[in-house]
Amino acid sequence: MIVTKPKPFRKIKQFTDPHENILVVGCNTCTAVCLAGGEKEAEQLAARIRLHRRRQGLGGSVETVTVLRQCEHEFNEEIAEMVEGRDLLLSTACSIGPQALAERYTGVRVAPAMNTNMLGMVKEHHVWSEYCVACGDCGIYKTGGICPIARCAKQLFNGPCGGSQGGRCEISPDVDCVWQQIHDKMVSLGLEDDLKKIMGPKNWSWSNHGGPRTLKKEGFQP
Amino acid sequence: MSDNHTLTRSFLRPITGDAHLRPPCEVTCPIHTDVQRYVQLVAEGRPAAALAVVRETNPLPQVIGRICAHPCEEDCRRGQVDEPIAICNLKRAAGDGAGDAGAVTVPPQPEFAGGRQVAIIGSGPSGLAAAHDLALLGVKPVIFEQQPEPGGFLRTGILNFRLPKHILDEDIAYITGMGVEIRTGVSIGRDITLKELDEQYDAVLIAVGLSLSRSIPLPGADLPGVCLAIPFLEDVNAGRDVDLGKEIIVIGGGNVAIDVARAARRLSAGKVTMVCLESDQEMPAHAWEIKDARDEGIDIVCGQGPKAILGDGRVEGLEVKKCESVFDDSGRFAPTFCETELSTIAGDTVIIAIGQMSDLSFVPGNGPELDQRGLLVFDRRRWATTRPGIFASGEVVTGPGAAVNALASGRRAAVSIARYLGLDIKDYPEPEAIGELPRRVREEQVRQAPRRRMPTRPEDERVSDFNEVETGMGEVDARCEASRCLLCGGGARYSQLKCISCLTCVRVCPYGAPTADKDGLVGIDADVCQACGICFTQCPAKAIDLEVVSEQELAARIDAAAAGGGTLEFGCWYPQTRVAPEARAVMLPCTGRLSVTMLLRALEAGAEKVYVAVCSEDDDGHFVHGHRQTRAAVQEARSLLEDIDLEPDLIELKVVAEKKCLKGAAG
Ligand SMILES: Cc1cc2nc3c(=O)[nH]c(=O)nc-3n(C[C@H](O)[C@H](O)[C@H](O)COP(=O)(O)OP(=O)(O)OC[C@H]3O[C@@H](n4cnc5c(N)ncnc54)[C@H](O)[C@@H]3O)c2cc1C
Ligand code: SF4
Ligand code: SF4
Ligand code: SF4
Ligand code: SF4
Repeated sequence: MIVTKPKPFRKIKQFTDPHENILVVGCNTCTAVCLAGGEKEAEQLAARIRLHRRRQGLGGSVETVTVLRQCEHEFNEEIAEMVEGRDLLLSTACSIGPQALAERYTGVRVAPAMNTNMLGMVKEHHVWSEYCVACGDCGIYKTGGICPIARCAKQLFNGPCGGSQGGRCEISPDVDCVWQQIHDKMVSLGLEDDLKKIMGPKNWSWSNHGGPRTLKKEGFQP
Repeated sequence: MSDNHTLTRSFLRPITGDAHLRPPCEVTCPIHTDVQRYVQLVAEGRPAAALAVVRETNPLPQVIGRICAHPCEEDCRRGQVDEPIAICNLKRAAGDGAGDAGAVTVPPQPEFAGGRQVAIIGSGPSGLAAAHDLALLGVKPVIFEQQPEPGGFLRTGILNFRLPKHILDEDIAYITGMGVEIRTGVSIGRDITLKELDEQYDAVLIAVGLSLSRSIPLPGADLPGVCLAIPFLEDVNAGRDVDLGKEIIVIGGGNVAIDVARAARRLSAGKVTMVCLESDQEMPAHAWEIKDARDEGIDIVCGQGPKAILGDGRVEGLEVKKCESVFDDSGRFAPTFCETELSTIAGDTVIIAIGQMSDLSFVPGNGPELDQRGLLVFDRRRWATTRPGIFASGEVVTGPGAAVNALASGRRAAVSIARYLGLDIKDYPEPEAIGELPRRVREEQVRQAPRRRMPTRPEDERVSDFNEVETGMGEVDARCEASRCLLCGGGARYSQLKCISCLTCVRVCPYGAPTADKDGLVGIDADVCQACGICFTQCPAKAIDLEVVSEQELAARIDAAAAGGGTLEFGCWYPQTRVAPEARAVMLPCTGRLSVTMLLRALEAGAEKVYVAVCSEDDDGHFVHGHRQTRAAVQEARSLLEDIDLEPDLIELKVVAEKKCLKGAAG
C-alpha cells in the first residue's frame, strides 16, 4: 500500500497563506489506512490551518471534504459543488490525489499536504516499513520472498556487501541487512546453492527509468 | 456516478447492525427507564437533567426512587463484575439533588382539544400512570378514588418511614398540574355506577388494585385482637389510633407482612414476631426488606404454619405447626404440614398479612365478564375487558407485584385506550438487551469498585417514629455510585459504509471488541465494548462514533464551554475532582476519548487554555489504556501547536490531586 506522511506545517502554510478559500480534500483509501490523510486527519489539518490563520490575522475559510479515493475521477466529481469558489485545493492524498484534482478542477490551484513516502506495510500500529519500489519486474522468487531493491540501501542484486556487520547494515545499526535476511531465509528453505548463482542485470526500462508508464489492456474499454 | 455516495457517506452517523440493543437494566425495567442515561447524568453532577430523563418514562419518579423493587438491578451487568449499580437509589439521588439545587419542574400543559374524556377508577400507580400518559396525548382523564386522598397502596399501604407522604404528594401534584382531575371520596358502585361511567365517558379504565386483605379460616380468628393487614395499614397511614398490645404476631412472610411488622414495631413497645411458612431462603419478601426488619429487632419464625389463634375473650397466642414444604414439584404453592409438631407463640395481637385480593363488587352482572374465580376476563395484549371501551390495568388484572409493574401496565393501557379512541400512536416499545460481559473483560479488565450503601438512621432511633429510615446518598456518594456504571451498549458504533477496514480499531481496542476476517472488519461486538472511546479517537475514516457522548454531542459541548474564552477543562467523571475548578468543564467518561481534533476544536471554539485531566499517572485509569491514549493525544496536539507556532502549553495534561471515587467504599 502507498504510505504517505504529512508535510511539515511550515511547508503547508506556504501553500495556504496566500489563499482565501481553501478546501482540504481527504482521501479515504491508502492515505487513510496509513493514518495520515483520511477524513479524520483532513479535518484535523483544517483545524490547524484555521488556528494558524486566525493567529496570523488571515481571513477566508478553510473547509474539508473527503472522498473514497482521490485517484479516481468519478469520486472527485462528487465534490464539484464544494470546490466551487475555492482558490486552493489542499490534498491529503498521496501525490496522485492532488494531480487528479488538478486534472479535474483545472481552474483551481492544487497543493499536496503529504509527501508520498513508500510502498509499505504496517509493522505495528503507527509503524510502517518499505517493501517495494514498483520496479516493474518483481524478482523475489529468487531472494526468499524478500525484496533487495526496496530493502537494501544499495539495491544490490548480489549481496551482501562488505558493510554487512552482525546482521546490520552499515548505514545504521538500527537497519537490518536485508541480504543477511535473504541468506538466512534461503538457508532455511534449503536453497543456499541458488545464492551462488550470479543474478544478471535487471531491465530497468519497466520501472520509471523507461519514462512514465501507462498500462492498458486492449479491447476492454467500453 | 449519479448519486452522491461519498459525500453523503461522509455525513453519515456511524451505526451498526445491533445499534438497537439496549442495556439490560433498561430492558428489565418494566417501564424501560433509560437508566444508563440518568445514571450518567447523576455521575456528571446534573441531577435535574437526570430527573427529567426518569420522567420521560416514569410519572412517579420520586416515589419509585424510594420504593421500587428494582428488578433492573438483578440484570445489571456491573453485577457480573462485583455488585449491581444502585439504580433505584440513584433515582432518588436525582430527585433529591434536583430539589437541593432548587430546580423547579413545571409540568407540561397538554391541550385537551378533542373533547375526549376517560374515566379511571383508582388512583394507585396504575391509574395515575394511565392518566398521565393519556393527558400527554391530549385525552382528558378523570380519576375516581374512593379514599379521601389519592395514591392507592402508595398512600394506604406503604408507610411513611419508607415513603414520606410529602414525596407522594409532590409526584401526584405534578400529574394534577398537567390537568389530570382526581375526584377523591367517590366510590364506584356506591356513589356512581360503572354503567354511568361507561355512558358518560369515551372509555373507562378499571385500575382498582387489590384492596381487600385475604384471611385464613383459623379457629379463634374472630377474637378481639385479631386484624387484617390492609385495614391495619390504612389506619396507621391515616394516622388513626390503633390499639396494639405488647406482643404482636404477624402472620405472613411477604413484603406486606414486613411492613406490617415494622409498623407494629413502631407502635408498640413490645415484641414483634413474624411467622411464615417458608424457610429463610424461600421467604417471598425481598432480602433487603427482611434485613431491615431484622435490624429493627423483629423476630422472624420461619417454616411454621398457623393452626389456631389461642385465647379466651382476647388473643393469648398462636399455635403453629411445622411446615414441611411450601411448594409442590411443579413449583405451585401447596404447603404440607406435620400436624404433630406443634408449638405456641405467645402474643396478645395477631395481624394476618397473607395476601390481597380485588373487590370487583361494583362490576354489574351485565358489565365486563368475570371468570369463575371472580376475576376480570381480560385481553393481556390490549388491556381490555370483554366490554368494548372498558379497559383494566394494574394489580386488579396482573395480580400482586411491584409498583413499577403497575405503572407499566397503566402506561400500556393508556396506549391501548388512545388507539381505541382513534389516535394514531406507536406501540409501547419493547427493547432487546445486549448480552453478557465476556469473562476476560469481567474478571481481568473492569476495575472493581464497591457499591455505595444507602445510609439509614440508626435502628434504635428509627423504630421510635415514622420518619424516613433511609436518609439518601449525598452528592459525592451518588456520583461515585453512578460512575460505576459500565455504559453497557453505550460504546462504539461503526458504519459499514464508511469503514475502510484499516484495522486500526482492531489494533487499538484494549478489550478486543472489534474483529476482522480476511474480507475486512467483521464488526464491533457491543457485549465486549466498554465504551472507552479509544477506537473512536483513532479511526481514520471516521467510521466510528460513540453511543454515549457522540461526536456531535461532544463537539456541541466543547463549543458551548469554550465560547466565552477563558479556560476549559476536559474532566473525567470518575475522580470527581477538577484540575481547574474555576474553569468551564466538559466532563467525560475518561479523557481517553478525546481525539486531537477535539482538543484543537476547544481552542478554535475560543478557549484560551485547555486542561485535560487524568485521574492517575498510570496507563489505565478507569479504562484499560485510557490514560495512555489521553497522553498520546495531548502530546500530539501540543506538537501540532508548536508546528503552527502556537504555545504548546495551551493544552496541558494534569493529574487530579485527589480521587473521591475510585478509592473504594471505605475511602
Ligand atoms: C404494604 C405494601 C407495601 C408495598 N411496598 C412496595 C414496595 O416497597 N415497592 C413496590 O414496588 N411495591 C410495593 N407495594 C405494591 C404496590 O403498592 C402496588 O404494586 C401498587 O400500588 C399497585 O397499584 P395499582 O394501581 O394496581 O393499585 P392500588 O395501588 O391498589 O390502587 C388502587 C386504587 O383504587 C381504589 N379503588 C378500589 N376500588 C375502588 C372503587 N370501587 N371506586 C373508587 N376507587 C377504588 C383504591 O382505593 C386504590 O386507591 C406495596 C404494597 C403494599 C400493600
Ligand atoms: S452497568 Fe449501567 S448500563 Fe450496564 S446494566 Fe448496569 S446500570 Fe445498566
Ligand atoms: S423504575 Fe425500578 S425497575 Fe425501573 S429503573 Fe427504576 S428502579 Fe429500576
Ligand atoms: S478503525 Fe478502520 S477498521 Fe475500524 S471502523 Fe475505522 S476504518 Fe473500519
Ligand atoms: S476501543 Fe473502546 S470504544 Fe472502541 S470498541 Fe474497544 S472498548 Fe469499545
